[in-house]
Amino acid sequence: MIAQPRRPRFAAASQLARRRLGVDVPGALNLVGFLVKYVSLAFLFPAAVALGYGEDPWPFLAGGAATGGFGFALERATRGKERVGAREGFLVLALTWLLIPLLGAVPYLLSGEEQLSRPMDALFESMSGFSTTGASVLTDIEGLSHSLALWRQFTIWVGGMGIIVLGLAVLPRLRVGGRQLFEAEMPGPDVETLTVRIREAARRFLLLYVGITVAGVAGLTAIGWSGLDERMGPYEAVAHSFSAVATGGFSTKARSLEAFGAATQWAVIVLILVAGTNFALLYRSLVQRRPAHAARDEEFRLYVGLLGLASLLLLFELVAQEIATGEAAVRHAVFQAVATMTTTGFAIADYTQWTALTSITLLGLMFIGASAGSTSGSVKVVRHLLVGRILGRELDQTVHPELIAPVRLNRQPVDERALRGVVVFVLLYLGVAALGALVLLVDSAPTGLQLRPFDAIAASAATLGNVGPAFGFAGPMGSFEPFSDASTGVMVALMWLGRLELIPVVVLLTRNYWRA
Amino acid sequence: MRIIIIGAGLVGSTVTEALHDEHDVTVVDLDGTRLAPLAGRYDVTTLEGNGASRRLLEQAGARRAHLVIACTPRDEVNIVAAMLAKKLAPQVKAVVRTTNVEYLEVWHERQLDVDFIVSSELETAYAVSRLIGVPAARQTDVFADGQVQIVEFDVDPALPAGDLVGRPLRAAGIPPSSKVASIIRAGEVLFPSGDERIEGGDRIVVIGSPDAARAWSAALGRSSEQVEDVVVFGCGPVGAAVAQALLRQGIRVRVVERSAERAREAASELVDARVFHAAQLDEDFLERERIGQADAGIFALHDDAASLYAAALAKLHGLRLAIAIVQESVSERLFEQAGIDITVNPRLLAAEEIVRFAHDPRTRQVAMLQGNRFEVLDITVRAESSLTGTPFRDLPITGSLIGAIVRNGHVLFPHGDDVLLPHDRAIIFTESSRVSQVERAL
Repeated sequence: MIAQPRRPRFAAASQLARRRLGVDVPGALNLVGFLVKYVSLAFLFPAAVALGYGEDPWPFLAGGAATGGFGFALERATRGKERVGAREGFLVLALTWLLIPLLGAVPYLLSGEEQLSRPMDALFESMSGFSTTGASVLTDIEGLSHSLALWRQFTIWVGGMGIIVLGLAVLPRLRVGGRQLFEAEMPGPDVETLTVRIREAARRFLLLYVGITVAGVAGLTAIGWSGLDERMGPYEAVAHSFSAVATGGFSTKARSLEAFGAATQWAVIVLILVAGTNFALLYRSLVQRRPAHAARDEEFRLYVGLLGLASLLLLFELVAQEIATGEAAVRHAVFQAVATMTTTGFAIADYTQWTALTSITLLGLMFIGASAGSTSGSVKVVRHLLVGRILGRELDQTVHPELIAPVRLNRQPVDERALRGVVVFVLLYLGVAALGALVLLVDSAPTGLQLRPFDAIAASAATLGNVGPAFGFAGPMGSFEPFSDASTGVMVALMWLGRLELIPVVVLLTRNYWRA
Repeated sequence: MRIIIIGAGLVGSTVTEALHDEHDVTVVDLDGTRLAPLAGRYDVTTLEGNGASRRLLEQAGARRAHLVIACTPRDEVNIVAAMLAKKLAPQVKAVVRTTNVEYLEVWHERQLDVDFIVSSELETAYAVSRLIGVPAARQTDVFADGQVQIVEFDVDPALPAGDLVGRPLRAAGIPPSSKVASIIRAGEVLFPSGDERIEGGDRIVVIGSPDAARAWSAALGRSSEQVEDVVVFGCGPVGAAVAQALLRQGIRVRVVERSAERAREAASELVDARVFHAAQLDEDFLERERIGQADAGIFALHDDAASLYAAALAKLHGLRLAIAIVQESVSERLFEQAGIDITVNPRLLAAEEIVRFAHDPRTRQVAMLQGNRFEVLDITVRAESSLTGTPFRDLPITGSLIGAIVRNGHVLFPHGDDVLLPHDRAIIFTESSRVSQVERAL
């Protein structure tokens, strides 16, 4: 008997190895190379910015060359991406989302920037960008060159683009975490094949994504020009729109959005509120002019409702503890609730200095996330909604054993298998978050880091949920810099896992994934 | 009148019985043994064969017929027979019996070229909802994905004058998002002006949102008689239609179904019902769910004997009102003897409805309100229409009324100041004689 290989042999797969493996690894690698190759184009943007500001464009050109070269080589060395199916899809996703941040870290290392000289820190910053997390190891953000600062913002925007395509077109087909249910089919002209449909859906959502970004830039620039907030220039408008639309959270300012005026802060609230909405829903209400769809959507209503509730809680505490008053109190409460729940991670105040109640509220929001089909991370509102309904049904059936009650979403019964997917996802998510917190806590002791258990949980939740800033020294005005390389690496993995909604990565660890 | 009846089951033979005297009737059925008793009892021509075959229809004299009634148990046979008959003789009126509510919807959208459709399931549902003490006489129709309902109410003569009854309409407390489309008094149809009053004994037709329909129902009903909690046993086509009709009236409905698969289907179809997978004779279940305390039970099981058993058991458990849906004609007497309060026979109801149409087959109606001569039209306003841009108060009064407007997926219940726009979908309530006039104007 021939022993079953647990791990795939690398691309040099002989026909024999291919036959024994159930996964077409060379085909998957071929597709990865194809995808990575195109990301090299993203490096041209910061290079152009560098030239514009009279800075050194070489780190970006070199990064771009490395990315393009690597992708090209990988594609040449393998073949068969046409045959890649749903099974290889998991491998493609996991590898692509790992390789792009790795290659994206090259400019940080080549720039000679002191703060990013540790390779693990550079990787953290890059992964934080491409996963639209927004956590940073920088201690002096304003010390970065314009081009490097804008590269950070741009990685977030590119990452957000990837998520829109991934979340709305790819993951539903792979039936990940019950997600196939949440994304209503794109209404539109009938098209023949699935690939065409995916492409068409992706094209529309990307147009919407670009549209919202342009609107954001225009709005913020207008605020600057009209004199409402003279600190908001075109550069800041572009940088923060990139970050907001992708619900990322990187800022060009050390004090995040605190560095700007109230008008900018309100505008950003609106922008991230929109970015945290299901894009399919946005498409229907904004492009197809059917806002009634949004008003009736149960996830959207719960999303808005939870935000309202969290804002009120924060407002109550801010006023009761005399931390802020009047308009400022409302703005602080709403901004922090929206920024945290949409997993953006902007801040207009150092909320780590607030009270225990606000900390618990914000930590809770980190575990909720915004709508499915948006660029936000974490569990997503709709999964909480469904888990709540499953719970309700279990209680109901305890009393009424003969009751048959489908769990419904927007009045449509939800498939039982998808419901199991949702429950499994939430359990896995909580498990990974807990494990992450534990590892961070254990690792903090030998390095003498002042990490309270609460801060460890928050750091794990903030990275797994792609939120960004956490609590303690890793708060919104702080930095993830004090963490050891090992802890930083764990958080890189958490961001990666969270971004891909866990399952595509976790499934690679099972033996039956690889078997024929 | 020359009438061809396709299908000689309970519906067909009831219709034959009612029509053979005055008319020249030909009955067609696949099964000769069903034709023999009809031929023996009545003066009718019988023909054995498939009613959906053109040759047979020709043989039966479809070219010279005035009315074709297709009432076999199979929807598709009925529809094909009606279509073929209309092709053979364009003047012929065709009536189709269907068990599928979807065909009814298609017909309402004028996509099915027959003159009248009868669904025994829906007739039963209306009959039950009339019986159950809610004054909503019958929910005639639902438009715009259920956002607009047209409901007929019989105003109880004993109802005291109040906010709604006996007061001029302009001053009456009419539930929001609704309109009185017409008042039928002593057989006469009135399109009410603001000075008109609703009086006891009137039958009124209301057009409005589902909430408004419920508000009307509550306003016109006597609370002591209100049934709020109903258990439906058996969720076949009839049971499901009854449950749906009751749910639309805001009644709490529980459904008991013994087939697991059917129960699951029912649970996903009936959004607001509570569906139980249990046997109707399971006493533990009846006890646990306090079935005896429900206001009414509807027994719509597959065969009458099962319904009888289940109803009798539920009565033992204290059920106040038991309504049985029966298939056999003997069941009525039998059930009454056994102490079951009411029996309803779907096939007889369908036959009655067909006979009613046969007596007065004058119009091709989209939604015919029972016994009356007006229609509900669902028309999209053309851009060229001369009436667009006119405020409602200035629209000519022509014996018709725009009850609701669907604009960009929203439903409006227009007031005098609202304006009709191109591409609005208008739900119009009109006298039959004015249908073509209305269609031309819009």
